[in-house]
Amino acid sequence: MRGLLRAVAWIVLLGLVALAAFILVPEQRTPPQTNPLAAGWQPAADAPLYAARLADCAACHTAEGGKPFAGGRPIQSPFGPIYATNITPDPETGIGGMTLDEFRAVLYDGIGRKGENLYPAMPYANYRTLTEADVQSLYAYFMHQVLPVRNEVPRTALAFPFNQRWGIRAWKWVGLPAAGFTPRFNDPKLDRGAYLVEGPGHCGACHSPRNAFFAQDGYTSKDPSFLSGGLVGGWTAPDLRTVGNAIAGWSAQDLDLFLATGRNAHAGVTGEMELAIAHSLQYMSAEDRAAMVAYLRAIGPAPGTPPSAPKRVVARAATFGGPDATATEKLLASADPAMPLGARLYLDNCGACHFVDGKGADGIFPALDGNALVTAPGTAGLITTILKGAALPSTALRPYAVAMPGFAGRLSDEEVAALATFVRGAWHNRAGAISPADVRAIRGAAGGGLDASSLY
Amino acid sequence: MSLSPSALTRRSLLKTTAIGLVMGVSLPVPLFARSAEPPPLADYKPEYFTAQEWAFVMAATARLIPSDGTGPGALETRVPVFIDRQLAGAYGIAADWYMEGPFDPAANPQLGFQSPLTPAEIYRQGIALFDGWCRQALGSPFAALAPVRQDQALKLLEKNALAAGKPPAGATPAEAGPLVPPELRDFFTLLLANTKEGYFADPKYGGNHAMQAWVYIGFPGARASYAEWATRQNVRYPLGPVSISGERA
Repeated sequence: MRGLLRAVAWIVLLGLVALAAFILVPEQRTPPQTNPLAAGWQPAADAPLYAARLADCAACHTAEGGKPFAGGRPIQSPFGPIYATNITPDPETGIGGMTLDEFRAVLYDGIGRKGENLYPAMPYANYRTLTEADVQSLYAYFMHQVLPVRNEVPRTALAFPFNQRWGIRAWKWVGLPAAGFTPRFNDPKLDRGAYLVEGPGHCGACHSPRNAFFAQDGYTSKDPSFLSGGLVGGWTAPDLRTVGNAIAGWSAQDLDLFLATGRNAHAGVTGEMELAIAHSLQYMSAEDRAAMVAYLRAIGPAPGTPPSAPKRVVARAATFGGPDATATEKLLASADPAMPLGARLYLDNCGACHFVDGKGADGIFPALDGNALVTAPGTAGLITTILKGAALPSTALRPYAVAMPGFAGRLSDEEVAALATFVRGAWHNRAGAISPADVRAIRGAAGGGLDASSLY
Repeated sequence: MSLSPSALTRRSLLKTTAIGLVMGVSLPVPLFARSAEPPPLADYKPEYFTAQEWAFVMAATARLIPSDGTGPGALETRVPVFIDRQLAGAYGIAADWYMEGPFDPAANPQLGFQSPLTPAEIYRQGIALFDGWCRQALGSPFAALAPVRQDQALKLLEKNALAAGKPPAGATPAEAGPLVPPELRDFFTLLLANTKEGYFADPKYGGNHAMQAWVYIGFPGARASYAEWATRQNVRYPLGPVSISGERA
């Protein structure tokens, strides 16, 4: 008996020691992975800014209305808000004085300066593929080109057990991919595209599903679920990968235009992707954008015959509701007072810009027929857009920030639900219904610009 | 042709019919979607007008767009509410008009509005002047006159030709002579214009109640979406109007 107790005590003690070691022993930092750089290597003059834009650090680390990179923006996670840190070179509240090795450990291993584990809201799982040249370019940018800003950001305080940061160490064992980037296409353009999308662009952080450990399900195109669509705060980040995905049928030029301007003949950017266009993608070189486009088209399903780009409104209007039109278009064009409420609301509120054929206008008003936001499984995007409106980013190539007003002041929850349900089933769309309760949940949330009922 | 497992059976037909019936019952378009019905016009508490002024505006707009025609009148469409709210707001104080001098109210009317008075002041002084003239010349304030007399009085006001004393039968404006000072010469013009505006403006401004004026003339409202109708000639557009706040009629 005594022997057994003694054995149990020893096992418990060993367990505690192992746990203490797990919590207290510092992690190993991953060394530089690629391109051993010559001694005294310095990034080209414009490389630091370009790298920071590529990695879109501003999207999280610059708060709305805040100083660049001074942090404080809350990143909504399923476990509570995670506050982006101040990454200006301010020595006390920022990252001033950080060494290159410490900086690389943040990007590669999610280890902070004091050895603390960083929440994976910071996409270090993606940044693990960064080349040493990009790491050092980013380091140069944040050490020397960003103005130091003294700004103490709110402490992230998630509920137990998510406030136990040592647990992230265990998460990393299952969640992190191998470090470094391995070219595998035997084609410099596709490999460059793969690097940009999988690495600094961290597209998969939103556009890939999450697995049971809440880690990105697949980090490269070798994983079939990579870029097959994800859910972010109730919004669907569209599937870019599988048959019938959001960009299926887009030409290379359509996709290129979308990345550069947030708009094309089919769609207008919404949600968080608007920040990605505004802060990051619009600044990419034409070659890099073309590489991303080539890669995204190469990893998707074999392109079928792309649908012809919709004609200009003036040319279409003459045949609106004609013999070849969809049933939805015929119903709308009839202006029949007996039409269902959703259709009537579409005519009263949406038709002026999106038209009875749901095709919108090239580069101005997105098409709703086949629109990924409209048919998304996560309905928060569609409901939010109807209630609070949306605005395209102003970009160098397309400066006009075309805006859609919100309709919260004009439509009740029941009406928004009827309208959203209608557009999800209109034309060629075949997505499920939306309930007034879904709308009510989003109406109360913050945000939104101009409302349609206050336009005049 | 082989029957698929999902082909029509008696059970599926019954089910579909039941669903159809439920949908049919639950999905008709509510023809009218309106904000809560406002209090009756008689109970309206004016924001700008005094009781006497309000009585005049009610009576005068009722003559400008009477209720006994083929369509709704100014009172059913709550035009007086529109005018009261406009005068209580930015329009009343000419908030976005150039209102610095020099003023020459007697300038050629082709030169536009020249009065130093704001629209609210023109109504206040104009109603006092006109009601006073009605009392003196016709024996009672405008609101208490018979409709025929009201029309006669308004016609003289329109020509700014209010004479002292009773207008003789068949008197010409020239004979009636001027009594309206130049800074008030736009009073009738404003009254008529504001009445039309209150009749046809979006209901959110208080007039055109329930979009009755739009229904009457067949104007489909703030839908702004008729590209599919541009090529259809001589076909009546079947849908009723929609307002800025989303009311349907």
